[in-house]
Amino acid sequence: MRMIAIVVVSAALGAGALPVTAQQPGATRDTARVLSYPIPPAGRLVAITNATIMTASNGTIPNGTIVIRDGKIAAVGANVSVPAGAQVIDGNGKYVIPGIVDAHSHSASEAINEGTQSITAQVRMEDVLRQDALGLYRELAGGVTTLNILHGSANTIGGQNATVKVRWGLPADSLLFQGAPPGIKFALGENVRQTNRTVLPGQERRYPRTRMGVEELLRDAFTRAQEYRREWQEYERGRKNVKRGQAAPMPPKRDLQLDALVEVLEGKRLVHCHSYRADEILMMLQVAKDFGFRVASFQHVLEGYKVADEIAAAGSGASTFADNWAYKLEAFDAIPHNAALMAERGVRVSINSDSDERARRLYQEAAKAMHYGGASEDEALRMITLNPAWQLGIDKRVGSIEVGKDADLAIFNGHPFAPASRVEMTLIDGRVFFDRRTAPTLEHLMELIRQKQGPRQVTEVVP
Amino acid sequence: MKARRRRLRIADCGCLAIALLGTSAGAQTQSAISPAQGAPAQSAIVVIRNATIVPVTGPRIQNGSIVLRGDRIEAIGPNVAAPSGARVIDGSGLFVYPGMIDGGTQLGLTEIGSVPGGEDTQEVGDFNPHNVALTAVNPHSELIPVTRVNGVTTVITAAEGGLISGQAGLIDLMGWTPAEMAVRRHAAMVVSYPSLGGGGGGGGFRGPQRSDAERREELDRRTRSLRSYFADARAYAEMKGRVATAGGVRKVNQAMEAMTPIMRGETPVIFDVTTADQIRGVLALADTFGIKVVLRGAREAWRLADSLAMRKIPVIVGPLTSVPDADDPYDMTYANPGVLARAGVKIAFQTSDAANSRNLPYNAALAVAYGLDADAALRALTINAAEIFGVADRYGSLAPGKVANVVVTTGDPMDVRSVVRHLFIRGQPVPLDDRHTRLYEQFRARPRTQ
Repeated sequence: MRMIAIVVVSAALGAGALPVTAQQPGATRDTARVLSYPIPPAGRLVAITNATIMTASNGTIPNGTIVIRDGKIAAVGANVSVPAGAQVIDGNGKYVIPGIVDAHSHSASEAINEGTQSITAQVRMEDVLRQDALGLYRELAGGVTTLNILHGSANTIGGQNATVKVRWGLPADSLLFQGAPPGIKFALGENVRQTNRTVLPGQERRYPRTRMGVEELLRDAFTRAQEYRREWQEYERGRKNVKRGQAAPMPPKRDLQLDALVEVLEGKRLVHCHSYRADEILMMLQVAKDFGFRVASFQHVLEGYKVADEIAAAGSGASTFADNWAYKLEAFDAIPHNAALMAERGVRVSINSDSDERARRLYQEAAKAMHYGGASEDEALRMITLNPAWQLGIDKRVGSIEVGKDADLAIFNGHPFAPASRVEMTLIDGRVFFDRRTAPTLEHLMELIRQKQGPRQVTEVVP
Repeated sequence: MKARRRRLRIADCGCLAIALLGTSAGAQTQSAISPAQGAPAQSAIVVIRNATIVPVTGPRIQNGSIVLRGDRIEAIGPNVAAPSGARVIDGSGLFVYPGMIDGGTQLGLTEIGSVPGGEDTQEVGDFNPHNVALTAVNPHSELIPVTRVNGVTTVITAAEGGLISGQAGLIDLMGWTPAEMAVRRHAAMVVSYPSLGGGGGGGGFRGPQRSDAERREELDRRTRSLRSYFADARAYAEMKGRVATAGGVRKVNQAMEAMTPIMRGETPVIFDVTTADQIRGVLALADTFGIKVVLRGAREAWRLADSLAMRKIPVIVGPLTSVPDADDPYDMTYANPGVLARAGVKIAFQTSDAANSRNLPYNAALAVAYGLDADAALRALTINAAEIFGVADRYGSLAPGKVANVVVTTGDPMDVRSVVRHLFIRGQPVPLDDRHTRLYEQFRARPRTQ
């Protein structure tokens, strides 16, 4: 079913047609008939000229041009000429940054927590993606182009992630970031222990209830995964060495949960671990070391600044909030200097949203790393672009403005960290998925009311 | 009389603080006392020189000076002589702003969201007009220094929920006791205007499923209930007046007593609303009862901007981080303040937060990005809020005679990259440390592990 869907979509895109119209976000009774949302064509030759280009990898180009060919960045620099036939986007007075990568999102998810058991490595976020989730459109309007859609934090080992590009309006399957390494959500602390959950009369508490129990579950799960892998290895060996006349060995029972954990053991599936306190971060690092895998990113990691050296030494990333704190006990030692301090200690840090709301203004969140702890402008920019891309294993594809990378870009009307700045245009694979000039803004809606009801009726007067 | 009492109080705690501080008195960044309580009181004179002064109610002054004496601003101008004995702060490259005012927080009433023991934000029952937020404000909350070091010096704090949630206090974010923090103990009554509730469901997480008809019925019932409470309050206030004139005695009802200044139009009512429908309901209520209305939240107030301007009803917008409904334009929350201000509505901002009320100016920044004039945003963060709560004679701008809530920054406070360098609340230097800077310094000094 999935295969068929992909074929249909790519056929439609390949033809360069505009076959799809999406439900226009913000389409009210006033606007629904007026607006439609054409899905942008693919594969065009595009040039963004005269813009300030913040590359995230090679500093800022004050007056530069970006050429996009077939969805990839073909050239970038101060002295780049515009190829004949290119569609030109005038970047005069504008700032271009790499499309924002949000390393912790629950957008477009029909459900996020399979909370019945504490180990649910078998469930997959890509099975519950919704292409019509409005959060996606609003994230585009905030310059976000890639999301790490994670399972919730109810379980010690939650479900498998979906790395997606915010291709709003296209069918759910075409949201998937093709070629992104698979990942999985782990979680520690209060949520997994169900600390703040009201237990109804007669209801039994779910194991684990302590941080010790969380460690035990992890070790148990990975011990089972090791044994499962050994069974399969023995089976494969036995199958190859079957002697004439001997019966072929029976394959072990396929276990979808342990399959995912074996991929973790073999470094083929990235672990994104929800965590708060320093002690549980150290525990997770020790478990990972004992079983021979790396934690790709600690998520939230609000006390990461206390054990930054240990995180850096393990080669793990840290993806944190800019300044969210005090909402629960394990968030009471959270400090807004966390991102800058971990970076100072050599950790690759990203700032994430974990929320459809914060995702719309991650650029403002990133600037907080400059405010608290004094990160440089480049470092702050990398915290929402190149660093999260690295944590998701897609930094060869996205996260900076470099030749050969996907043309995922956000264009601002001013410096992205300045107070009066907003996103004017967002491109993914060189296609304009958001353009404020045609977006359903409040101004647009008021203009429609003005046209329909006359200039004096824009805002009603209640006498 | 009042002013003298305040000065006496400051002098008293000044002795105590100096005793505690020993030799470090006067050092801006040192504090021997818990910063939760605020700075030691000092009667020193401070002058900040060579700074760009942004008084809000007057033009910017380049290379200007500002003199703080006691708890007041004494002088501002391009050529102000430093009084002898004044502590001089070189403000070269820095900017001086009045302290910002958050029109809606739960500061002091909450500490750690998930720990019920520290939560005094919501009372049982629908009608609690006699509950006074300042009673439960914890002056030593860790959240308070975290807020003020970002330049937010004064906030409305109040409980929420029910229909009449209680009385909001206007407080300065410094003081040893709630009374010391108070700017106005009875700043406003908070009403949570009824809204069309959700349809429930969601696997039981959002309560039992309800039909549209049931939701409407519930809304009508709650709206009638609120109206009838106001009617009772009006009757009580009238009767109270008549009894007073006749020299009689009447049984006291605490809740109705608390409503009396509201019904007499002496104290404003903050109506927490979201939609245009709710605002229409509030306007009808105002017409019936002649109460002084302040709208808060009011994401859809743009639909009634001209009405609100004509009626001179102020709107405390925010939080700007609230997400519009599915049918709404994507930028509706961000663009609403600009539409209101252009229509002539007096606006201020709220975060509706506690732990992150420090983000107040960044709320305003989002409004500026989507059409609010930057100067109008600054007024909304300062003088407008002071006017709405009737303290503009003392708060909301930099002017001689005003309370010296003064923020010295590296730039526009709405710019996240700007940093506060000096802070004064009621003329007293406030240490720029808090729970976060203490943990930061502590772990920044952790020896490197190999």
